[in-house]
Amino acid sequence: MASRLLWASKAASYLKISTFNRGFASVVKDLKYAESHEWVKVKGNSATVGITDHAQDHLGDVVYVELPEVGATVTQGSSFGAVESVKATSDINSPVSGKVVEVNEELSSSPGLVNGSPYENGWIIKVEISDTNEVSSLMDCEQYSKFCEEEDNH
Amino acid sequence: MRIPRNLEVWRLGTVNYLKALKLQEKLASDRKINKITDTLLSLQHPPTYTLGKRRTDYNLLVPESELKNMGAELHYTQRGGDITFHGPHQAILYPIISLRDIGLGARKYVENLESTMIELSSLYGVKAHGQRKCETGVWVGDRKIGAIGVRISTGITSHGLAFNIDPDLTFFKHIVPCGIADKDVTSLRRETDLVLPDDEVIQEQLVSCFARLFGYNDIIWKDKNVIEIDD
Repeated sequence: MASRLLWASKAASYLKISTFNRGFASVVKDLKYAESHEWVKVKGNSATVGITDHAQDHLGDVVYVELPEVGATVTQGSSFGAVESVKATSDINSPVSGKVVEVNEELSSSPGLVNGSPYENGWIIKVEISDTNEVSSLMDCEQYSKFCEEEDNH
Repeated sequence: MRIPRNLEVWRLGTVNYLKALKLQEKLASDRKINKITDTLLSLQHPPTYTLGKRRTDYNLLVPESELKNMGAELHYTQRGGDITFHGPHQAILYPIISLRDIGLGARKYVENLESTMIELSSLYGVKAHGQRKCETGVWVGDRKIGAIGVRISTGITSHGLAFNIDPDLTFFKHIVPCGIADKDVTSLRRETDLVLPDDEVIQEQLVSCFARLFGYNDIIWKDKNVIEIDD
């Protein structure tokens, strides 16, 4: 199921079409997820962070992304920036602690990438992780899918 | 079985903008640690212009010094949205609520805020609408009657909505309201033929619409003087 979702989201992303009708939001295998709906891709000490498909769908069209400075410190669970959509600014929290080594400058001119490609071109920051143990406290894609389901069924 | 949800409403009268902001920050951090329940501030402001996180001050058409002469303040905030004006006879609601507890995202939350003002308008026979693509807010035809600007931090909301009961609309001439140049601003007074009751009555009705739309079971009303709440 998860790999079919992965294919669908990759295909949609490649074709630059918005994914299917929201019976469920897409998740990507091999990423880790925070309860505040951010994802992180970890490779050794390097991490790429963004917000999930569920998050972007619930936010609406993103018109502005507030990015941190390169070199800034981020802490797991704390805010590092914000997005604006439908006249609402929503904080984005970091799933990992460390130092910001790169920010996605594209988002300044194309904030909509967060909606259209939340797992790929819409990445937000890259972090040099200070404590790789923290990653184990995050959810995998199955746990996150279940978490989203429970949240949406309030 | 759903746990009954209560909304505590603070009727604050007219409050200086920064005082209200400080109060919201305190309440939001209390709400985050579950020290308080969902709380809604119902108030008005003295003449105040505010900007959102994007700092779109190019939409202020007069120099800041002139605002002082008019008796108005200017404040930069962390809320979403563009420049707007708040003043007497404009009903303000600042909900400090946990969106996570009710499973709402920003988009649905803002839609509900729009619906709150649409419902209130309909009580006076005014057909308002919201959810216009790219133009969040509440409109009667092409005229804007209600504005929204919200902040969500760790799933807790602050700032909120502003509904024009009968404010002095000339104040809006000094800005490009909400960054929209070609549309007018209006008020309930302008749009309805009915005689309006006191602001307090309308503000209470607005709160009731909010509570109903957000599914609260009970409203606990509290009348508070902001000076008393200061630390």
